[in-house]
Amino acid sequence: MSTLSLTRRTFLAGSTLTGLAAVTGRGLLVPPAWGAAVAKVGEAAPAFSANTTTGKGVSLADQRGTIVVLEWTNHDCPYVRKHYESGNMQALQKEITAQGVVWLTLISSSPGTQGYVTPKQADELTSTRKANPTAVLLDPTGAVGRAYGATNTPHMYVIDKAGLLVYAGAIDDRPTTRRSDVQGAHNYVRAALDDISAGRPVQTPVTRAYGCTVKYA
Amino acid sequence: MSLRGTFVVLACVFLILGGAAASSETPRVRVELLSEVAAFTPGQTFWVALRQQIAPGWHTYWMNPGDSGEPPRIEWALPSGFTAGEIAWPYPDRIPQGPAMTYGYSREVVLPLPVTPPSALDPGARVTLRGRASWLVCEKTCIPEEAPIALTLSVAARAPAPDPRGAPLIAAARRNVPTPSPWPSSFVATSEDITLTVEAPHLTADRLTDVWFYPARWGAIDLIAPQRVRVDPAGIRLDVARGPLRDAVGAPIEGVLVVAERLDGDVARHAFSLTAPPRPAGAHGDPTVASLLRAVALALAGGLVLNLMPCVLPVLSVKALGLVQHSSRPARLRAHGLAYAAGVLASFAIVAGALIALRGAGAQVGWGFQLQSPAFVTLLAWLFFAVALGFSGVIVVGGRFAGTGQTLATRSGYGGSFAAGALATVAATPCTAPFMGAAVGFAVIQPWPIALVVFEALGLGLALPYLVLTFVPAWSRLLPKPGPWMTRLQQLLAFPLYASTAWLVWVMSQQAGPPGVGAALAGLVLIACASWVHRALGGVRALWRHAATWTVAALLPLSIVGIVALGPLAAGPGSPAPEVAADGRLGWEPFNLERLAALRASGKPVFVNFTAAWCVTCLVNERVALRSPAVADVFARKGVVALKADWTNRDPVISRVLGSLGRSGVPLYVLYPPGAGIGSAPTVLPQILTEGAVIDALDKI
Repeated sequence: MSTLSLTRRTFLAGSTLTGLAAVTGRGLLVPPAWGAAVAKVGEAAPAFSANTTTGKGVSLADQRGTIVVLEWTNHDCPYVRKHYESGNMQALQKEITAQGVVWLTLISSSPGTQGYVTPKQADELTSTRKANPTAVLLDPTGAVGRAYGATNTPHMYVIDKAGLLVYAGAIDDRPTTRRSDVQGAHNYVRAALDDISAGRPVQTPVTRAYGCTVKYA
Repeated sequence: MSLRGTFVVLACVFLILGGAAASSETPRVRVELLSEVAAFTPGQTFWVALRQQIAPGWHTYWMNPGDSGEPPRIEWALPSGFTAGEIAWPYPDRIPQGPAMTYGYSREVVLPLPVTPPSALDPGARVTLRGRASWLVCEKTCIPEEAPIALTLSVAARAPAPDPRGAPLIAAARRNVPTPSPWPSSFVATSEDITLTVEAPHLTADRLTDVWFYPARWGAIDLIAPQRVRVDPAGIRLDVARGPLRDAVGAPIEGVLVVAERLDGDVARHAFSLTAPPRPAGAHGDPTVASLLRAVALALAGGLVLNLMPCVLPVLSVKALGLVQHSSRPARLRAHGLAYAAGVLASFAIVAGALIALRGAGAQVGWGFQLQSPAFVTLLAWLFFAVALGFSGVIVVGGRFAGTGQTLATRSGYGGSFAAGALATVAATPCTAPFMGAAVGFAVIQPWPIALVVFEALGLGLALPYLVLTFVPAWSRLLPKPGPWMTRLQQLLAFPLYASTAWLVWVMSQQAGPPGVGAALAGLVLIACASWVHRALGGVRALWRHAATWTVAALLPLSIVGIVALGPLAAGPGSPAPEVAADGRLGWEPFNLERLAALRASGKPVFVNFTAAWCVTCLVNERVALRSPAVADVFARKGVVALKADWTNRDPVISRVLGSLGRSGVPLYVLYPPGAGIGSAPTVLPQILTEGAVIDALDKI
């Protein structure tokens, strides 16, 4: 975790009205750039390390040379349930990990909020839902989630073998909670991985993630 | 009854209840379908609305829900021939959730949408509009909900019948639907930020309490980032970090600008929909070094061109002729050049300073603002006339008319060169040279040091030809040898000055009418007279001669007094006739107390619109209510005279009237009933007008 340097974004309620005499050197006006700390597609994916449900530390740096998929989840979120209850997420995990891709499921719900789970509960969820991630990482402080600017569950990221973030956004193009919408949806994660294996740039590198908000502390 | 049978009965009961009641409840959101009419006319579009009453702490979403969430949807199952349009979304609230920003509604929202029935329907028939509404409702957690919606209406024989419950709710909701922005907008993108510019002139920062831009789509701007807003005389500029969709800045950004304006003890929010096309960086917006350099270069070029203007050229030519005398003494020549340049730059600094100060104080003035004053125009006309008389040889300073250049350049020394520079500036103000417009336009919206740099560049451009001439002796050697031709040329150059005088008197005629022109022309006669007196008394002792000349000249201020006194009078009674409402809209007459008193004495009802160009609420009211054809009809039917009191520039009379009605600002809408006594209380309408409110008030008289 020490590798992360996070500047918490300050939200200024309202707006600043200044008159004619306002300023020219706009650089001076720019607040501490949280933007610099948040993951950007096309740039190096922020380094992180977090514990798995077995207490083992996993760090992104260890995955260099492998494609990594990050999935933010919250098992009680209706949008997440759409993809798990339809079996869509598990199928994608199985298909993709079979190609040697590392799939990390992250839970950033803080204790006491919807979606927060103990390591034991997380393992139970994996087995009852027949999920197939490489590992489930617990991020109760939200540090990893904030570093990636994860706002939704599900929120998907794809990191290439060189450690570049090549996709961030939704799982597919049907922003609904209807299970029937899984059929015929265009899956952006699969498309990104297809682009990578075909050796071309990811065609749709950024989409609006849809889902429930991540329940940060 | 078996368990199965009980279920069937219960299900039937629910279905019947669901079909009969217009509203459906779920734990967090109660929805119902509303209509503005209880009976609709076949073929005529009317408004219905999905109303959501939301449990405290929970919210639903706008058309662009933001970083998370989902907008409500309606799946219609309408009777055949009926069509439903898109939801007209009222502007949302900002609901930040950790690192995500969402846009939505709390407590209650009414989402209006138009429905068009077929034209072939039997009057008196009953029609049920059915559909299924689905929405996401979130607090900390999110829950998708859905419910059937239905509403039964009847078909009207003739006019539609308003629904007493639905009509006001839908009307209120539609007031919060953005109106198209009356101002052009555009944006500039840098690698990190977007600057959105809305060219809304006249707005003053102290009236605006909050400005926020809600993009219609996710991706172009960072939704959670602060929006830094500046309001200056050019409009609103909003800086915000770019969003994650990098290529979104290649296309226009659509969205809704919500402006909260402080009224008398109240705040009004107005939403404007806008589509801002991208603009290359540096064209306006922030003063990048490149744009500043460009403005300075343009100003320099504009200043150079000013030398050729008919009002400036004669003055400078004669000044240049004076150089000829000095061409053998380079040091003095350079000193004169510097004095002249100093005169130009100093007077430009004064003009620019006044301009910047006035704009800082909120006045809408631009280059040549002095010319808005009839007194200044008159003084300028007299100055040109006096200089022209000098060129013609009528006025001879110092009693000698030999060596024309001397009179204007050498004899008066360095002070004279400085004065010539100032004169050149004064003479230049009426002229707007090519290139100057862009440079001055850039300068006036910049902070004052930058504005001053641009104006001084303009001055330097004006001074440059003369300065170069004095500093590069080789060039001054190109000037022809002194000789009698100089006198002829000078006399010839008097004519552009006479022409400038004539033009200024014409300008004056527009500003102050016949009395102003009379006073200005009287001044010209006095100047001619004074110069004749001065010459005619050539043999008399200098003291007496000067005394006589100045006595005549002293009459000049009387002319100015005449202009100032008569000017407003001239504009008063001859004021423009009421605007002719060519398109059937309301024609507004300018407000004045005498007119109001006369109308009321004659028993006519009068509506007074107290407004100002810088008042957003006034603008919106005029667009949504006062300009509507329905309102114009009622005005015509009731014979109400519409007066417009424009408070854009502070007006003591209007201020007093506002004060007498207990207000200190605009908007204010007052309806004086017909036939009432002069002292009876007029009706004051709400500050936020609707078509209905105006019509209701008018119908009561």
